[in-house]
Amino acid sequence: MIFHSLEFLAFFLITLAVYWRLPLRPQNLLLVIASYVFYGWVHPWWPLLLFATTLIDYWSARRMSEPASGSRLPAPGSRLPAPGSRKKWLWLSIVTNFGLLGFYKYFDFFVDNAAAAAASVGWSVPPLALRLALPAGISFYTFQSMSYTIDVYRGHAPARTRFIDIAAFVSFFPHLVAGPIMRATNLLPQVEHERTFDPAAARDASVLIVWGLFKKLVIADNAGVIANKVFALQQPEFFVLWAGVFAFAIQIYADFSAYTDIARGVAKWYGFDLIKNFARPYLATGPADFWQRWNISLSAWFRDYVFIPLGGSRRGSGRVAANLMITFLASGLWHGASWNYVLWGGYHGALLVITRFAGSVWAPPPQVRRWIRPLQVVVMFVLTCIGWLIFRETELSQLMADLRLTPADSTPLGRSTGLYLFLLVFLYSIPLWIHDLWAELRGPDLVAAVDGPEAAPRWRRVAVQAALGGVMFAAILVLRSQSTLNFIYFAF
Amino acid sequence: MMVGRVLSLCLVLAGTLAVPLGLRALNSALPGAGVRDSYLPTVETPRPREPFDQGSAAAIREAQPEFVIIGDSMAGIRIDPRQLSRQAGTSAAGLYQQGSPPAYWYLVLKNLVVENELRNLRGAIIFFRDDQLTTQIQVSPGVLDRVARDREPELDRILAADKLGTFSFVHRAARNTYQFDRTRLWFEPRFTRWPAEVVEPARPAELVNVINAEVFALDRLRKFESSDLAASTDAALDFAANVEGSLLPEMLRIAAARGIRLAFIRAQRRPLAHGPPPQSIALKKYVDDLQAYLVSKGAYFHDDWGDPDEPLSLYADGDHLTAAGRVLYTERFAARHARFFQ
Repeated sequence: MIFHSLEFLAFFLITLAVYWRLPLRPQNLLLVIASYVFYGWVHPWWPLLLFATTLIDYWSARRMSEPASGSRLPAPGSRLPAPGSRKKWLWLSIVTNFGLLGFYKYFDFFVDNAAAAAASVGWSVPPLALRLALPAGISFYTFQSMSYTIDVYRGHAPARTRFIDIAAFVSFFPHLVAGPIMRATNLLPQVEHERTFDPAAARDASVLIVWGLFKKLVIADNAGVIANKVFALQQPEFFVLWAGVFAFAIQIYADFSAYTDIARGVAKWYGFDLIKNFARPYLATGPADFWQRWNISLSAWFRDYVFIPLGGSRRGSGRVAANLMITFLASGLWHGASWNYVLWGGYHGALLVITRFAGSVWAPPPQVRRWIRPLQVVVMFVLTCIGWLIFRETELSQLMADLRLTPADSTPLGRSTGLYLFLLVFLYSIPLWIHDLWAELRGPDLVAAVDGPEAAPRWRRVAVQAALGGVMFAAILVLRSQSTLNFIYFAF
Repeated sequence: MMVGRVLSLCLVLAGTLAVPLGLRALNSALPGAGVRDSYLPTVETPRPREPFDQGSAAAIREAQPEFVIIGDSMAGIRIDPRQLSRQAGTSAAGLYQQGSPPAYWYLVLKNLVVENELRNLRGAIIFFRDDQLTTQIQVSPGVLDRVARDREPELDRILAADKLGTFSFVHRAARNTYQFDRTRLWFEPRFTRWPAEVVEPARPAELVNVINAEVFALDRLRKFESSDLAASTDAALDFAANVEGSLLPEMLRIAAARGIRLAFIRAQRRPLAHGPPPQSIALKKYVDDLQAYLVSKGAYFHDDWGDPDEPLSLYADGDHLTAAGRVLYTERFAARHARFFQ
């Protein structure tokens, strides 16, 4: 089921009407049932995978925290199993989750590459690729579920006894398919505690949902149509190509952040707070800043479960560089089973390593920093766009050809086309830039502030929200793209 | 306190739903010349439309062919009507429209063939690809204008059921309430024209046309993309589930009522270098089901897939044949389907 459908609206309203009439436990059961219906709407077998992941991780965490004596239930103050025994259950969780992910997402990639490598030395290998459809969101919920068992192993979170609570944590439908990836320490307490309906939060959430729909249907889909056209060309000219890359940069940001906004808004109606996943990433001043603003939940996951266990920043500059590169190569591979994603991860890892070492050699004084900040933002945006070219272009030979293009190769028509497409994308994306610049420079967020409860309605703000909601809805009706594209991150 | 919060929620929801009503006021201030009720009242609000193409109707009436060929460029790039007439010993006319959808073919069959006093007509041949006849039947506003009459109730019913499904009443209510289609038709071209005016102030419309015709021409696209019809997903290939919601039964019904034989030809997609184009098990089953259905309704069916006489060397871009390929195809078509022309 997709957010921008009337089926989802009906599903949302019906579920909500029942949900707030129930006490906590039945509420959680309803959330699990609703989430499985949501996930299995098009492919009824997908929930089986979700259930398998949940069951294994629930069981692994329980076994990790069972007392060494063999008693079935952990008693307060009871002794935990020996680390070796606990590690065994952690490995079960990790192998199961990576096994599912590897089978559905990476099996064909490795088989195809192995076959190509064998062919290069003259060995003929029969075709083994399975060409299975990738279950949507599998990369998100396996990572989220795994974070629970890892946190239980580390002692950061206790193992839960109620399976339904774990099932609700893993499957919670608003963010199931494209994040944000929530931690057990954040979401599970929300699952376990009484929730109350707050009309003011629902009000803010409604504006956030409309803003998300506007970003998806007007900005992302219109920019996506242009990006798709450009990336369908055999030999794009320099300006046409980079207008297409700009279109893709707008598309992927508007698309992914739209999903997060809608997810956060929908969750808020059910009394849950999901974390922000984006903080104006195209206003970042450098690579480190960018990764604190882009897909924040995934960046934090890789930081806490990959980078820090590798040694983080603690063991000398060479090791730090290696840790960064490993983390970003893995992050790239997480995005998709293709070399361009690995390359994209490596590119961002290299940017981080370079700027980290450059920063240790020379850091601008504070009075200079203020003045060069706009320049830093522009340079980082250009570097980000180069990354998006690597991300979007799945054929490596074509990527190399694209990177060799120069402005001198362009024809007048190519230059006009590039400028036309750039301006067209910019026109669609103006609300996005205004929103981000306003939030960055003036704050708070123009569209919604769902983070804190308010003592009493601030009527001026309510009037602005009502007007903005209406204008965005009108814009959706009039300007939505004729081609509705899938959310990009569904594919990951 | 709680009352204030509930009130603030209600105000925001009401504002969100009420502000777009301003589109109606905007519409009434817009130039209204040429606005007519749509022939698809359930899926479109009133909008300016192109008139029905009386000239084409008259031309085909004057020609009085025995056979007509209907389709998109797949038909146009395969069949030369004059050559076919000569070699099949009959008279054939082509009613092609590049990039046209099945709804267009239905209206051509209905308005230019069945209801056009073609006294000598014996058959109509319709070219299609894969599952086109039962899926992807939706159309953009204006695409059907030149072949649509003032009212097309059957098409409206079928498109509405397909597009709007269970919630068609919500879409209909929203369209009638906000009249956003009319605003869109007026606003969108102006909105997207602005960048062209900045780049080419003297000839903005020409710039957009040149970009579409030259920069994004079919022969400049990558091979996979140069086929203008995406491969179907297996989930969409359930023939039994889709056929009754498609235009196919209505096409068969109006042709049968007029005593016209229908032939359906599945055009082959671009083949591989050493074999036929890829075809999934689901697509193969779909085509088998389609054939069984059409034959049971008395229609003629032929599938070009895997034809050894249509190798890759006959193809230009995408699924299109070369000019030489067209001559060969037409020649073989006349011979291969001689019994249909008898």
